[in-house]
Amino acid sequence: MAFHDTLVYINSTVESISAQFIRIPGSAIVLRYVRSSYQNDPMRSFLELCLFLFAVRYFLASKYSFAKKDFIKLSTKEVDDLVHEWTPEPLVAPLDEVDQAEVDKIPVIIGISGPKVKLSTGKSVMNLASFNMLNLLGNEQIRERAIKTVRENGVGACGPSGFYGTQEVHIQTEKDISNFLRVPASIIYAQAFNTISSTIPAFAKRGDIIVADSAIGVAIQKGILISRSTIRWFQHNDMDDLERVLQQVHNDFKGQPLTRRFIVTEGLFENGGDIADLPKILELKYKYKYRLILDESCSIGVVGKTGRGLTEYYNIPATEVDMIVGSLATTMCAGGGFCAGSEYVVQHQRISGNGYVFSAALPGYLAATASEAMSIMQSSPEIFTQLLANTRAFRAIVDKMNYMYSPSDPDSPLIHLQLNPEVLESRKIDDEDKFLQDVVDECIANGVLISRNKVVPSQEVFPVESTLKIMITTGLTKRETEKAAAVVKAAVSKVMSKVPKIKH
Amino acid sequence: MPSNQTKLASLFAQAQAQIQLPSSGSATMNSTSSSPVAAEPPAPSLGIINYTSGASTNNLSPEEIKKRSMQFAPISHQSHRYIPHHPKGQPLSDPVEEEPPLFFLLTTYISYLILIIFGHVRDFFGKRFKKEKYFHLVQQNGYAPLTSDFDSFYVRRLKARLDDCFARPTIGVPGRYVTLLDRVTKDHCQTFSFTGTTTDCLNLSSYNYLGFAQSEGQCADAAEEVIRRYGTSSCSPRSVAGTTDLHIETEDLVARFVGKEAAMMFSMGYATNAAAFPSLVSKGCLIISDELNHASIRFGARLSGAVIKTFKHNDMTDFERLLREEISQGQPRTHRPWKKILVVVEGLFSMEGTMCNLPVLVALKKKYKYYLFVDEAHSIGAIGPNGRGVCDYFGIDPGEVDILMGTLTKSFGATGGYLAADKAIIDALKLANIGYVYAEPMSPPVLGQIEAALRTIIGEIVPGEGEERLQRLSFNARYLRLGLKRLGFITYGHDDSPIIPLMLYAPAKMPAFSREMLKRKIAVVVVSYPATPLLTARVRFCVSASLNKDDLDTILRACDEIGDLLMLKFSSGTGMEHGEKPRWKVEDVIRKGVMDAKRDVL
Repeated sequence: MAFHDTLVYINSTVESISAQFIRIPGSAIVLRYVRSSYQNDPMRSFLELCLFLFAVRYFLASKYSFAKKDFIKLSTKEVDDLVHEWTPEPLVAPLDEVDQAEVDKIPVIIGISGPKVKLSTGKSVMNLASFNMLNLLGNEQIRERAIKTVRENGVGACGPSGFYGTQEVHIQTEKDISNFLRVPASIIYAQAFNTISSTIPAFAKRGDIIVADSAIGVAIQKGILISRSTIRWFQHNDMDDLERVLQQVHNDFKGQPLTRRFIVTEGLFENGGDIADLPKILELKYKYKYRLILDESCSIGVVGKTGRGLTEYYNIPATEVDMIVGSLATTMCAGGGFCAGSEYVVQHQRISGNGYVFSAALPGYLAATASEAMSIMQSSPEIFTQLLANTRAFRAIVDKMNYMYSPSDPDSPLIHLQLNPEVLESRKIDDEDKFLQDVVDECIANGVLISRNKVVPSQEVFPVESTLKIMITTGLTKRETEKAAAVVKAAVSKVMSKVPKIKH
Repeated sequence: MPSNQTKLASLFAQAQAQIQLPSSGSATMNSTSSSPVAAEPPAPSLGIINYTSGASTNNLSPEEIKKRSMQFAPISHQSHRYIPHHPKGQPLSDPVEEEPPLFFLLTTYISYLILIIFGHVRDFFGKRFKKEKYFHLVQQNGYAPLTSDFDSFYVRRLKARLDDCFARPTIGVPGRYVTLLDRVTKDHCQTFSFTGTTTDCLNLSSYNYLGFAQSEGQCADAAEEVIRRYGTSSCSPRSVAGTTDLHIETEDLVARFVGKEAAMMFSMGYATNAAAFPSLVSKGCLIISDELNHASIRFGARLSGAVIKTFKHNDMTDFERLLREEISQGQPRTHRPWKKILVVVEGLFSMEGTMCNLPVLVALKKKYKYYLFVDEAHSIGAIGPNGRGVCDYFGIDPGEVDILMGTLTKSFGATGGYLAADKAIIDALKLANIGYVYAEPMSPPVLGQIEAALRTIIGEIVPGEGEERLQRLSFNARYLRLGLKRLGFITYGHDDSPIIPLMLYAPAKMPAFSREMLKRKIAVVVVSYPATPLLTARVRFCVSASLNKDDLDTILRACDEIGDLLMLKFSSGTGMEHGEKPRWKVEDVIRKGVMDAKRDVL
């Protein structure tokens, strides 16, 4: 019988294998162990067999089979045809005439970007489009310090901070920033724009919650995007809405594991010139146990009696804010940005701040420039009084304008001008940006350089209002500032006079 | 010994000054000394900046000459130069990547295992018994910990042990020598205090390929002039009112240098990549990226919203397989065709020392119609007979590459980055690139440095010097690499690459190597995870034109000693040419090095 034969064959095979096995030295011990542990326990043997089979299946399984669920199998010929047929879009769509004109209209300054500049068109204009608000650009003291540093350190730092890129001047400038803001520590990044998009993802991770103002700048938006955190927006500068959102988050995440929570907002908003209500935000932050990341890129060196930013403006210790991010490239006329906060906040960024770890350090002379600028701000606070006086003089004139209003804080030297809603209704303005560009052109023709608020709409989360952006400087006298305001006012009227009214 | 070395160097400097061969000057064979002491050439006016000749070492005091030679060494012998030449049109052959003996791999694994177990045990007890030290890792007062212990585990438990090897503060110019501020730690690298003394170390760590990190000479002179004329900033984003005539001029010069119609510059190299991708690709597009691309590329790619796929480092077969698969399959789920495919590679990979296989990439581009983005952060200035990057090295028309990106930090001693492409593309990016519209522009003195450096390389100012720098860099890179290989070390990368990673494997060898080198007054960079795979911890040498052969010999001798000390010479010789065996005597390596470094591979 075939069945019997098979059994005999199996028996003999098993016997010969076991005979061979016994010949291996030490096999007796293994056998005894297996026998004794499996005695009267077929369940256990079965379980282990299952485990063994699972392990075999696991190791033999294709590694990425789950990723190719909707993979369509194609022959080489088909792939070749598909490759041949595929036509990509152009890498970058060529500009149309309007956009090309916009590119061509980017002003080119001949020489130093001081308060009065010469443009490549040959026109000399007053410069109200640059962050040189305290007129520190070209300051003799700063200039000499910068030159001295170049003569000591060369220009570039030639390496990331972690690899011999940290120079003595960086350490000193970090100390100066900490002292200036009266916080325990600070860290310098090589570019202001990149600072906050490195700071946020260093702390906020997937699963954390960020509650952000809807008018924050692109750099902050990108930082949030990269962090992969859950984002909730609140209406721009609306504290009731902030509380509503915080309450909602509280309700939504009740009973879930506690994750990090951050409120992110700007001090002086670059896109509006208005100021965040810091006392109220702090109150809510403590109430709902959030940490506050405050982007003071536009407010450090601008707001406050001695330029220490929003905390000075509201007379609140800067240590109340968990992270203050600022720019050294605005009124300090240097370059780079910084994040100030507790010792731990700073230390953590030195190893986890992407823009710090993976980028070359800031050139030494720019760090030195920032230090020198801060020392000037501290030693001569009267420049801020002068800046305020110029700001008020300018506002006094433009606030009387018929067609435009300013959403900016009355004391902010960063002034936005926006078309009145009723003007937009009564006048045939198809393209606000074009209208504003005409105003800018008219101003330049009359000797005042201002700018539209330029944005990249495709990169913004929310649409940004079209505005004119004007930056007051102490480099111009009060009289000149008033004259510039008059030019802006006249330019708006003139351009508006060409716009037909809508007949109702 | 290093002190002897310094003396030697200054002796050389004096000797050279006497025979009118200035250190950073027209010390080349073609410019004979027809213009001696008095005849200082008139300042060339090639644009906005008035350049000094830079070579005016004629009336310098010995101290001044010594100072300059500390930043840029005089060449020891004119034979220490090399012009790289890659056979045109030939694809790049992959360098042999040697495997270490199994024993070292095993001990490396065990090392990490021990570190991880110790770390977890310490964390476990620390969180319970030493709360004040672990406050930032535990939930308190209703706040979640600021950093999670899992995320920071590596940093706290592994990197913290060798923190003295990182972020060593410096003073002065990071040139041929870098001056370190000495520091000591009493609490195992938690805090450091300065002793007040400094150490001059031979610099194998800075990205100073062509040696333009100098506080004297035409570059620093240009920077100073620009500070006087332009100040330190242009105080406004480029598209608003931050564009000066100097920005335009430098951009034109960069474009001309890399062989493109137009270029745009940004104040930070990292941010150049971070801002570039969102303006080039978006949802529905595909980015195909080398797996070892730099963090900035990954950051920018993620910002763009495009799908990102990676291929094995420099593996062109894997790359083509991925391309075919992606083009034929289209977008995930919908199978719609991709809008466009952007392939991103680095010219010279900063941790590997390998170059991208540009000839193959360009050939495949014709068939598969993708766009090619080459990040020349490390290769621009450092690679190619004219220093114009990988296109120059392979003899490929830069027009074949759609976007050439690069940084100006490395070879030019400046900072920031550029994108170079057709004028139509650059113009469109002026409205679409967030780095151009929102970020602060490049600081004008940096432009001065860049212009002077570029014009030196091109030969428009200080004739002969640019050539010398390029050829010395190539020679130094090949000489040091060959020497290390012959001593028996495992190195990664291509022969012409100025980045030479020397493999250490075991984590404990990183601080040991770095500290031993520091004892011998040589500054090096050790890297491991996360910049490299966990197993392949390495020390990365960045060779510079500012070193001369004597410096390299000092380095070889130091490596020889430390290699024996730390058992690092485990090369099997498979990476060596001409059937040579590894583990030579260091004196033999030095004796035969000059001839053999210039020898071509058979």
